[in-house]
Amino acid sequence: MSALTSVWKKEFRDAIRDKRSVLAAMSYAFFGPLLMAVAFFFLITQLTDKADIEITIEGEENAPQLVDFLNERGVVQKQGEWAKTETPIVLTLPENWQESVRKAEPVEVTLRADWSAQKQQTDIKRVEQAVQAYSSQIAAYRLTLRGVDPRVIQPVQLQKQDLATRGSKAALIMGSVLVFIILSVFWSGMNVAIDISAGERERNSLEFLLSQPLSTWDIVTGKALTATTFSLFGAILSLVLIPIIFAYVPLHEIGMNVNFSVGMMALMFILLVPLALFATALQLFVSFRAKNFKEAQTYISFLLIIPMAASFGVEFARLKNPILYYLPLTGQHQAFLSLIRGENVNVMGTVISAIATLAAALLLMKYIARMLKSEKIVFGL
Amino acid sequence: MINVDALTKTFKNVQALDSLSFQAKDGEITGLLGPNGAGKTTCLRIIYGLLQADTGKAEIEGVDANQNPIDARRNLGIFPDKFGLYERLTVREQVAYFAGLHGLTGSKQKQAVEQVIEKLDIKELADRRTAGFSQGQRMKVALAQALVHSPKHLILDEPSRGLDVMSTRILRDVLREQRAQGTCILFSSHVMQEVAALCDRVVVMANGKVAAEGTPQELCDMTGEPQLEDAFVKIIGTDEGIAA
Repeated sequence: MSALTSVWKKEFRDAIRDKRSVLAAMSYAFFGPLLMAVAFFFLITQLTDKADIEITIEGEENAPQLVDFLNERGVVQKQGEWAKTETPIVLTLPENWQESVRKAEPVEVTLRADWSAQKQQTDIKRVEQAVQAYSSQIAAYRLTLRGVDPRVIQPVQLQKQDLATRGSKAALIMGSVLVFIILSVFWSGMNVAIDISAGERERNSLEFLLSQPLSTWDIVTGKALTATTFSLFGAILSLVLIPIIFAYVPLHEIGMNVNFSVGMMALMFILLVPLALFATALQLFVSFRAKNFKEAQTYISFLLIIPMAASFGVEFARLKNPILYYLPLTGQHQAFLSLIRGENVNVMGTVISAIATLAAALLLMKYIARMLKSEKIVFGL
Repeated sequence: MINVDALTKTFKNVQALDSLSFQAKDGEITGLLGPNGAGKTTCLRIIYGLLQADTGKAEIEGVDANQNPIDARRNLGIFPDKFGLYERLTVREQVAYFAGLHGLTGSKQKQAVEQVIEKLDIKELADRRTAGFSQGQRMKVALAQALVHSPKHLILDEPSRGLDVMSTRILRDVLREQRAQGTCILFSSHVMQEVAALCDRVVVMANGKVAAEGTPQELCDMTGEPQLEDAFVKIIGTDEGIAA
């Protein structure tokens, strides 16, 4: 036990003096939520954007009423030149507009545009709708003038009902935040994990450490606890920073409100503890096999795909399988989802997944301890 | 006492040790002399239990490190083949770490660290981080790590490699001092002068076997050569891989 604490204390002191490790642990937690908030900020402004559409209107003077109507609907005359990459959207109003309207004859208005242009499609649609709306308005006037109820030409009225609730919109955005929190335990301890395993080998101090009178289990546990400490530090930072940063994102504009209560954060943190140990064990397992820091880094970046695939996969494929509640990683993810949606957490599943995560971590550590007794692994013989 | 008995070790197709037997007695410096690739490092690694012997055994004070590595290492100071230092720790922290791994805690640990720093005369280095240390300074730190728990046995793998004259002299002085305290010292080398200057007994190794054994004088007498170097060449039958 004293050997274990010696290793832990020494590794921790060593790691905390490594600027690269500390920076790595903090930067993910710090810049991650910031980046995410900026992304959401733009997403939200785009969603709520009702900026005017600029098109070229030819023959503006022919039909000032229509132009006024279009302006009201946010379709305006383009001031500058069209960019070379864009096909101009041109609406041509004919000279005979006034005369034809007076005679109640159909007027031909031409809209020239590229309907296959993905970016312009909403713009074109809005121009079309605006012209249609004006047309219906005139039709209604004409019918009223002739003593006919304008509703006779609207036999069917389509009611659109958007089923996207506030909650489900929030869940979509928060889902990615959750994935981010889960990944924080994988990211934050990574540099330390590599440094105390592959780094120890690269610096040629592994042989001496292994020839000291302590079990390889003590070595592995001491090192794992150090990396786990860093990883949890990153997790705490993420958990604290996310509510602060998201307070500045205008989520309410898309009808969303997020509540991060202290109790919820604490519960999330507790759920992250076994996961952090598991993440560290995985990273130590990989990087004890690498010859140097660089090699370990390469392997570990592949390893990061696992938690990313697991959590993003479940998130976006909308997988629903009860087994997900019980497995490491997906269990924590499901619990987080329930927490954020304000639903009841599947207690049984969460506890079992926590135990499974812890067990997997300990088994992996046992295996690493055995690995360090193998001359093949230690000396690469 | 370190007792090596009929050790055999094979790596893939290479026979590194071929029933190697010798003893290193307490209060003596035993030199393991051999050309590069003779199996010196392999032998030492088996003694402190990092490698498993195929057959035979190596015992430190009767404890086989292959069976019970932790107990075997308690009374052992090691100066390994590769000694990397923790460059972000100061010398004192580093030495204290290994004292801790040997079970020394609290004031006992502090005292042991102070003593070994005093002994190796590295007081002015003690609170510096080891990054950027010279080879000689690094050697002293490694030696301090090996000696901090006052082991009764000391194993050194080519300790004078890359050292200048001054550092080599300090190393020799420390080893002689340890010998005077009754420590059993086993060190490997391919440097003739060092062995001649320091060793009470020499075990000459070649191709994983003991080629000859005795005091430097006995080896010279045995081969009829006045110089240990010539005696050595005669014993192993080639001068390949030896430094004068």
